[in-house]
Amino acid sequence: MKSLLPTRWRRVRYPLAAALCILTTLGAFPLREFLDLANIVMLFLLMVFGTAVWFGRGPAVMAAFLAVALVDFFFVPPHLSFAVADAQYLVTFAVMLAVGLITSNLAALLAERSEQAQLREHETRILFELARDLGSALTLGQVADITQHFRESIDLDATLLVADGLAAKPSFQEFGHHRLTELEQNIARSAYLSNTIAETDSLASKDAAIAFLPLNAPTHVRGVLAVMPRTDDISSVRLHRPLLESVALLVAIIIERLHYADAARHSELQVAAERLRTSILSSLSHDLRTPLTSLVGLADVLVQRQPALPEDAVETAGIIRDQAHAMHHLLSNLLDMARLQAGQITLNKAWQPFDEIVGSSTRLLKTLLANRTLEIDLARDLPLVHFDAVLLERVVCNLLENAAKYSEDGARIEVQAHTRAAWLEVAVCNDGCGFPEERMKQVFEPFVRGTREPAVAGTGMGLAICKSIVEAHGGMIGAENRPGGACVRFTLPLGTPPSMEEEGRP
Amino acid sequence: MSEAKARVIIVEDEPKIRRFVCDALHREGCACIETGTARQGLDAAARGNVDLVILDLGLPDMSGLEFIRDLRTWSPVPILILSARSAEQDKVAALDAGADDYLSKPVGVGELLARVRALLRRHWQSHEAKPQHKFGDVEVDLSRRIVSRGGVELHLTQIEYRLLAVMLANSGKVMTHRRLMQEVWGPGHGEQGHYLRIYVGRLRQKLEMDPALPQHLLTETGIGYRFQS
Repeated sequence: MKSLLPTRWRRVRYPLAAALCILTTLGAFPLREFLDLANIVMLFLLMVFGTAVWFGRGPAVMAAFLAVALVDFFFVPPHLSFAVADAQYLVTFAVMLAVGLITSNLAALLAERSEQAQLREHETRILFELARDLGSALTLGQVADITQHFRESIDLDATLLVADGLAAKPSFQEFGHHRLTELEQNIARSAYLSNTIAETDSLASKDAAIAFLPLNAPTHVRGVLAVMPRTDDISSVRLHRPLLESVALLVAIIIERLHYADAARHSELQVAAERLRTSILSSLSHDLRTPLTSLVGLADVLVQRQPALPEDAVETAGIIRDQAHAMHHLLSNLLDMARLQAGQITLNKAWQPFDEIVGSSTRLLKTLLANRTLEIDLARDLPLVHFDAVLLERVVCNLLENAAKYSEDGARIEVQAHTRAAWLEVAVCNDGCGFPEERMKQVFEPFVRGTREPAVAGTGMGLAICKSIVEAHGGMIGAENRPGGACVRFTLPLGTPPSMEEEGRP
Repeated sequence: MSEAKARVIIVEDEPKIRRFVCDALHREGCACIETGTARQGLDAAARGNVDLVILDLGLPDMSGLEFIRDLRTWSPVPILILSARSAEQDKVAALDAGADDYLSKPVGVGELLARVRALLRRHWQSHEAKPQHKFGDVEVDLSRRIVSRGGVELHLTQIEYRLLAVMLANSGKVMTHRRLMQEVWGPGHGEQGHYLRIYVGRLRQKLEMDPALPQHLLTETGIGYRFQS
């Protein structure tokens, strides 16, 4: 119950009210010869009314009783005694008391209401300013600063805890002057997870009493607002509770807005980066391939020239041509690797027999495999498998190239394919030095080489590309050493091939 | 062979590639007409007296596809496309639009001339009937519908026979999956590409020495098949 008195005078309300009664008595006493009793009663009623307005309900009630007593004692015959000469004065007293109590009640109520209205208006104004300031906040730091500023205007301290991500056990970013203890952090966490307001009072923790309000945004709880009074009085927090809940909601909404703005910015960046990467890849692709094409072709023209150039010139031209070819191969690998890593390769899958890939790959690498013994072992009646022919041909070619590179003349290279449960299993094995044991796990990573010798040309991308392609098909790839050589195996899922109607008897 | 008088137009915007192609063609005694844009290429073809057009798919002023469609409305001249590797879909579209064969860049002189020769040969012999074919140890007589291997007559189903006949009729030339499906099964079988694969596999089983390493019924990965005798 408040009054219009400044705070420090509040304790002396009752004495002051009593003093006012006495003052009124002293003031009216000399006038009792000239004024009617009714008018004196009015003066006292006025005093009681004033007491109600200035000192509040309690002192006003006391003043009402005191007024009746004083009027009785000093102004009603017989004077200076509480006895009453005429019984109708009792009615006067009763009415005076009643009026005094009623008016004091009403006045006090009015004063209270007015004060509450002012408080509400003050709070609303604060909320409005907070909302306006938060509306233009661009970072979490700014949000924290704004809430701090707001806090100070209603005499509370606040720490803003913003959850990192949406995990079940979130960690919080803290913004605020007051560092939370571990107990307080745990309470904050439980308030966040259960999405209910938690309060501690000074009995539970050594520090000031704290209220934890979860920041409940439309899609998800975004964190916790920990509010503590500057004094030890938790009641000030309770008093402002509705206001704090609105603030928590506002802050939650703003944090959510910032989160989505961030996410949108991030996606825009990603899209722009993608676009840039695609255009770089395409122009690199064209700009690097064109000179290589002319190099290969023109060097070959020199080699094939009739009448022939001198032998050493022909040989040199041949080397130039082969090197240009190798560069082109390398470039293709690099660009494919870049595209695979960027997730830009779309699979052009079709149901087809795997045998075709074996046939076309071996044909493409005819020269490279010329000095190796090729053994093809494909199970009979292999079903159709769903895959991208061009990409799988790359895989088999890369594996065959590796097998040829890491083996001697005359060595065996085996290609096997058979089904096992729901998978097609393919193995490319060769006699040779095998993979270095200590690096078995890394051979499928880009730029890891199989041997330490620089004599074997290549950049170590073949297996990495194979891995990307096989995995993009939902299969798995692995390497192992076997006595006298090495094997690379990969699997492809079988699925259900489409059926085929057989022809009728011709 | 009368390539000595063959006139070949090269439509390619990169001058060094034009140079290499023309050098190779001159070696074969062919006349080489260089054009740098699609427009120039079409104009050169319109002047007539052309035996082959070598077209690069990556032209700046017009897509290769448009060029082919345009040319095909008024000329049956063979078209050989040059395209980067891993642009299979572009090649298939070009072949379906009317191109006759393709080469992947970078290409050597030998490969280029082999394709050119094959295309010129077909072009000049297109009016000649060819009922007899021989490859490996297989003999085919299309007029009597007899296919024999090592002297022993083989039995082929209707579709197998038709497929073989179509491939032989286009010997040396790449045939896209789609084209083969259309010629053997008829239009409206676009979604059933697996039929073609299975039948080619069966033909290989019956006709090739090593079906896993075919020498005649060749796979052009991502594009189609090619018969080579």
